[in-house]
Amino acid sequence: MTSPSDELKNARSELISLFSTGEGSETLQENYAEIVDYYFRRSVQESETGQELFRDKKPFALVAVGGYGRKDLCIHSDIDVLILFDSKVPSSAKKLAEDIFYPLWNMGLDLGHGIRSIKDCLTLGSEKLEALTSMLDARFICGESPLYLALMERLGKRVLPKKGLAFSRWLEEQNQIRMAVFGDASDLLEPNIKEGIGGLRDYHHLLWLAKAFFRLRTPKDLEYSGILSHKEYQDLESHLKFIHLVRNHLHQGSGRKNDRLTFDYQERIAQSLAFKDQDGLLAVEQFLSQLHASMAWIKSLHRSFVFTHFPGSRRNGTGSGQPESLPAPFHMEQGEIHFHSATAILHDPLLLLDIFVEAAKAGRPLSLESKRLVREFLYLVDDSFRMSKRAACGFLSILNGSNAFEALDQMLETGFLCSFIPEFEPVKDRVQFDHYHLFPVGRHLLQTVRHLKTLQQERDILLTDIFLDLRDAEPLFLAALFHDIGKTGKDHARKGALLIRNILKRFGYDRKKTEHVHFLIQHHLLLAETATRRDLNDEKIVVQCARVVGTIERLKMLYLLSWADGRATGPRAWNDWVANLVLELFFKILHILERGELATPDASRRVRQSLQQVRGRIGDLLSPADGEAIFDGMPPNYLIETSPRAIARHVTLFESLREAMVKGPESAFCLEAEAEPASGTYEVTFLANDRAGLFSDVAGVMALNNINILSARIYTWRNGTAVDIFTVTPPLDPIRTEEIWEKIKGDLAETFQGKLPLSDRLQQKAKPTLLSRKRTLTRQTQVTVDNESSDFFTLIEVFTDDRIGLLYQITHTLFTLGIDIRIAKIATKADQVADVFYVLDLEGQKVLEEEKVKRIRDVLVRVLSTN
Amino acid sequence: MKKVEAIIKPFKLDDVKESLSALGVKGLTVTEVKGFGRQRGHREVYRGAEYQVDFVSKIKIEVVMEDELVSDAVRVIQEKAKTGQIGDGKIFIIPVENAIRIRTGESGKDAI
Repeated sequence: MTSPSDELKNARSELISLFSTGEGSETLQENYAEIVDYYFRRSVQESETGQELFRDKKPFALVAVGGYGRKDLCIHSDIDVLILFDSKVPSSAKKLAEDIFYPLWNMGLDLGHGIRSIKDCLTLGSEKLEALTSMLDARFICGESPLYLALMERLGKRVLPKKGLAFSRWLEEQNQIRMAVFGDASDLLEPNIKEGIGGLRDYHHLLWLAKAFFRLRTPKDLEYSGILSHKEYQDLESHLKFIHLVRNHLHQGSGRKNDRLTFDYQERIAQSLAFKDQDGLLAVEQFLSQLHASMAWIKSLHRSFVFTHFPGSRRNGTGSGQPESLPAPFHMEQGEIHFHSATAILHDPLLLLDIFVEAAKAGRPLSLESKRLVREFLYLVDDSFRMSKRAACGFLSILNGSNAFEALDQMLETGFLCSFIPEFEPVKDRVQFDHYHLFPVGRHLLQTVRHLKTLQQERDILLTDIFLDLRDAEPLFLAALFHDIGKTGKDHARKGALLIRNILKRFGYDRKKTEHVHFLIQHHLLLAETATRRDLNDEKIVVQCARVVGTIERLKMLYLLSWADGRATGPRAWNDWVANLVLELFFKILHILERGELATPDASRRVRQSLQQVRGRIGDLLSPADGEAIFDGMPPNYLIETSPRAIARHVTLFESLREAMVKGPESAFCLEAEAEPASGTYEVTFLANDRAGLFSDVAGVMALNNINILSARIYTWRNGTAVDIFTVTPPLDPIRTEEIWEKIKGDLAETFQGKLPLSDRLQQKAKPTLLSRKRTLTRQTQVTVDNESSDFFTLIEVFTDDRIGLLYQITHTLFTLGIDIRIAKIATKADQVADVFYVLDLEGQKVLEEEKVKRIRDVLVRVLSTN
Repeated sequence: MKKVEAIIKPFKLDDVKESLSALGVKGLTVTEVKGFGRQRGHREVYRGAEYQVDFVSKIKIEVVMEDELVSDAVRVIQEKAKTGQIGDGKIFIIPVENAIRIRTGESGKDAI
């Protein structure tokens, strides 16, 4: 005959291999507990010491405690057993323990054991509440049963009445510790399915409380005693069954007692549980959704149970049980909100929403019974309900209130949210199987709202400042709650933006505010994506973002939404590093919007239309791809400030420049002069490959030929082409204009080839002759260097008297100071010039060193003040 | 053996990584870092209140390689990470005494 331990070993491995085939997997815990029971019965019977003890009238009982007592033995669970004696533990008890426990240790099972008298047990139970919980689950296995009954009776009569309150408080504390250590398992993507909130421990707590206070013996009593309804008990059983099944697979897969469902096990377990990829959802995503749903259910049951039966244990509860006044169909009892009667709901279904409105106002939860009623009457939520004005108002008042998260949480839990907003249903439990998203979509959306509601507790005061500055935060809250509602497939932001229109239309929501919400949802990734994937030092990128955003109010909302969304996604989506980049982008867009001109909705429309015309004008001069690449490289202010006709001409000139560059890239340029008869001036267009000093050379050659530059706009395309547009006085000799323009071209070519010493020639020219008038400065030269106005350039502004050669003087000085001019705006008004230069140093950086800034200012003032 | 350490703009990581692999670099370490260069911390003003922005977010890549590879690696990093705008970053080259592969105990150039 096989020994008890061999028999256990065989039975256990048979059980496990049966489990692997999927058979009997749902009853494994119970079957396993029974074969262990059988082992103990046999080994006690076969233990000589055991039999001697009985003969010597020192009887004992073998008692299963903890999970084993509940018959909840998963594959690698601890097996906790107690050898119970009446009043004194005899010395031979140790030998008995060796007989029955050693074989189990040898098998590698995790065994917890105690050898105690009834009195020891009671003392231990009153001192250590953890031991008390384990004894509450005690179950008689074999031996002298009256001992077990005596223990249970005295536990009930002597320990529990004294320790009851402490016990329920201790459990509440344990809950807080669990929340801190393991988190909310119904939310987390790597949940601890036993210890996490919503895990099996929640059920254990419920059971212990019921055993301690309502003297229940078995789980089934939860229904028989009326604590749970028949339906609730059935649901509880099925959720527990599922979680236990997962736990067994997890134990088997990891080969040890492991309760944390980490990523590496999830796919395998989903497969073992026969989940299949379907409807665009991975098997593992469906598996996690179901698991989360089960844990959310258990969490909710536990919470309601504690709330209903142990209001005193809540930290923030009133506990007084005094009814507070509430509008007629509701009343408050022990800090919870109740319906007066179920029939009232039938008469006025909107009470189903009103109760959440009251709960949000009062900051109190619905009672277990109210939740039950909401669930049962969900069928009353129909189209006319969803489209009623009262419902929309009620819903918005919840969302705007400070308890929005708590109320929405209960709306989600009871299924009301999905009934009221059916668009929520498909994404509610959607899980994304990656390391990025920490929560299923439904929870994530609620968390996003929660972050916005608690934003004022953040250390970053900028968030609060921006938030308080919003004219109306409602569109932001709506966008927070619904931003991922399109997450049923690709391009979820756009899809969500379409869905929100329907939802808000049902609400009869304000048109203009609908546009805000629509915008926020469609672009909720704009800031984070641009900040992490594009060059924030590229003005064009920032201007494009600014144009999408359009207004400062929207920017503020979008920034807060990005922050809350990121925080609610997880630490990989949002950390200091990402936050820093998004903040940088926020300020750059803000500056552009504050300055206006580049990013008004009008500006973006004008640029679009203008480019359309340019395309028409240039026809098939360029391949479409080539053309778009050139357009893409045109700076924002160039596109706004230049007419389509001029842009088209520049593109044509650029083509000739490209040809000329083949011969000699250094000296290639294009120049066109066109008379403006109306004003008696000329417009000169100049293109060349940009380099430092180029602008100064052009200005110098003009001065040499007595051409005064009245205004100038210079730009640099991203492909390195400098495009300069000058308005100039006509050549002095009206008959020889063509000739003079040709001479200018010749001088330019010579200058670029290094054959014309421009500086010397201009100095000679500037020597006063007898004929020249003595110049008197009418106003002092002013130079400012400004690093604040642009995030991308240093601005140098010069105010001084106009004269021929002035622009050359300024630009040449800047060139010798190692300053590269990227954009210039030259304007002359009645002999006074106001020139603005957008500059960078030769390395492409803003000029930030104080010394250098001072030097630029000093040198320019000196040069310009001397005649 | 040298360590090439580069601070680059975040959005340039993929380009730099690809061109380094194409060059035959076998492994590299990437870190999200914050710091400042010439563009020291600055103050942002929002509605009259000032917010100090101390650091800029950048990516640091570190690659240990044989000496012969260094000049090519520096060249491709410079080519790929350059935008011509502010804040393109820096490259540092640091001598490395030895490298040991933990699993096998190989050292020197076999370990990189």
